[in-house]
Amino acid sequence: MDSAVMWYAGQATGIVSLVLFTLVMALGIGVRERTRIPGMPRLATVALHRSLSLLAVVFMTVHIVTAVADSYVNISPLAALVPFSSSYRPLWVGLGTVAVDLMLAVVATSLLRARLGRRAWRAVHWLAYASWPVAVLHGVKLGNGTGHLMSGWMLWLTAGCVGSVLAAILYRVTAARRRSTPDSVLTAAEAPTADWHAAPGRHRAVSGAPIGEGGRR
Amino acid sequence: MRTTVLPTDVRSLVSGTSPRLLPLEPLDFSAHRALYGSTPRIDGARVIEMADRAGLTGQGGAGFPVHRKMAAVREAAERTGRRAVVVANGSEGEPASAKDKALLWHSPHLVLDGVELAATAVGASRAFVAVEAHSGLRWRLRTASEQRAGSRVPVTIVEVPPRFLSGQETALVSLLNGGPAKPRFQARPVFEDGVDGAPTLLHNVETLAHLALIARHGPAWYRSGATTTLFTVHRGDAAPAVVEASPGLSLERLAGPGVADAQAVLVGGYHGSWLPVASASGSPRATPADGRVGPATPVTAEGLGVPLGAGMIAVLPQDRCGIVETAAILRFLALESAGQCGPCLNGLPRIAAAFGALARPAPRADLVRVRESLSRWAGLVTGRGACRHPDGSARLALSALTTFAAEADAHAHGRCRAPGRPPMLPTGTAEQGA
Repeated sequence: MDSAVMWYAGQATGIVSLVLFTLVMALGIGVRERTRIPGMPRLATVALHRSLSLLAVVFMTVHIVTAVADSYVNISPLAALVPFSSSYRPLWVGLGTVAVDLMLAVVATSLLRARLGRRAWRAVHWLAYASWPVAVLHGVKLGNGTGHLMSGWMLWLTAGCVGSVLAAILYRVTAARRRSTPDSVLTAAEAPTADWHAAPGRHRAVSGAPIGEGGRR
Repeated sequence: MRTTVLPTDVRSLVSGTSPRLLPLEPLDFSAHRALYGSTPRIDGARVIEMADRAGLTGQGGAGFPVHRKMAAVREAAERTGRRAVVVANGSEGEPASAKDKALLWHSPHLVLDGVELAATAVGASRAFVAVEAHSGLRWRLRTASEQRAGSRVPVTIVEVPPRFLSGQETALVSLLNGGPAKPRFQARPVFEDGVDGAPTLLHNVETLAHLALIARHGPAWYRSGATTTLFTVHRGDAAPAVVEASPGLSLERLAGPGVADAQAVLVGGYHGSWLPVASASGSPRATPADGRVGPATPVTAEGLGVPLGAGMIAVLPQDRCGIVETAAILRFLALESAGQCGPCLNGLPRIAAAFGALARPAPRADLVRVRESLSRWAGLVTGRGACRHPDGSARLALSALTTFAAEADAHAHGRCRAPGRPPMLPTGTAEQGA
């Protein structure tokens, strides 16, 4: 195949992987904070997080295969798994490899979650927080389509991805403060303005959460 | 710091010389041995067999057969090769219940005898006695434990925060494992995966005291009906009493002659049920068939038609308002929620707020809707928590709606039978907190 096609396929799948992994990060935090996506049941957050992550792995695989197969720059198959062993830009390609290795650990433990137990799975899953920024750095340096520092719309896209993940992390860190307690829910329910049996059929509690839902479990 | 325990009045309705759980004076170890004799040395399999033949069930509320729990722990210990742990649960978190505190104060050695027997039954290498914090019981139990040289198992006394849910099985195990005293979902049950992940036998302290008596007097004696149970009885404004009585005693014998003129009784504590008392003109021998009880109704689960739970009985006189009492209890239960599961976190405060609105007598046109909402919410929260807190709270709310239906109507017309009177049942600990 034409090397230019391979090269651009590699670059394009890299960009799609960035966007997908960004969504996966944001949804993962959403799962943790039991966020509800408008118009979908709460379990859809988990399902979407899981499906998108597998889709992202597919794009990441194509990205790696094309990068190795492409003859424009020389990246050996070994360099796709062993960090910093590439002859082409060892540091920046190596960062991508580190991200891949971390992500493989996350994916493998998630597939084996039933056998591993929750604690081990969770510990490994935290590696996602390390993998994503390393992958972003790799892209920032190599992701303008020419193998050089990115610029233009690609830079804005990356900035948008970084902003989204930072916002999600901020949401997670501050969630504990917003979390309702029996005390706060009772205070709201006892407020003279609370119309606790309005909206028949919707069964919404005053805190805004339906009676059968919410909470930490 | 040691604070005084037991504002309650302890009394016995046991006649003759039959063995008792509660001596009228607290006993030290030598007095205990003089009265009860020393703990029989029985091997583990025989302890389980005795519990089985006696038909002993848990006295903490759930009423699970003791021998089955013991056999499960013993089997799990053999299978996993880990030494079992025994936990004696004396951390009664319910402010209206005092029987476990009374038992620990008056008969610490009977409970510790039971701990030793239970440890023998499951081959445990360690035991814990959980007592309510700031009650003086830690000091009491530690002193008692130190008098028992040559105990078959080392016993540690642990203080538990005085919260409603602290004594729940998984909450207690979580606390002993260094976590918060909150109920949790367990993939594997406590009898397999409890304290430090070891198979754990957790029993209410009264259950263990019964075990100590069974070991001395035999299963046949226990089955003969000579045995006794502990109740906490509240009657109007009188101080609550811890009463030792034979099962099957009538409501009037247990709770006093006031029952005949009472409005209702609360059976099984704050997770229990209100039952209306049949009026004096009706049949005194009312049956649970018509949902009413009378002075002659036997105090058993069959007699009353509802579970006895941990043995709390409250008699509500005519000049008290059941809606006001229930509203205060429901508010307390909502605040005592661990806030972990959605149905409890969002449901109980809302049920409490609706009940609180009912408790304020004022003309209102929406009584039917309020009742419907409360029933619907009670259904929505039931069976959906990590523990039974929402279920018990919903049960109490529903039983009050039925029992005090007429009073709720009166409130909706702006009338209350006890206007301005504060509730008689204690709900203090939510504010005192831990």
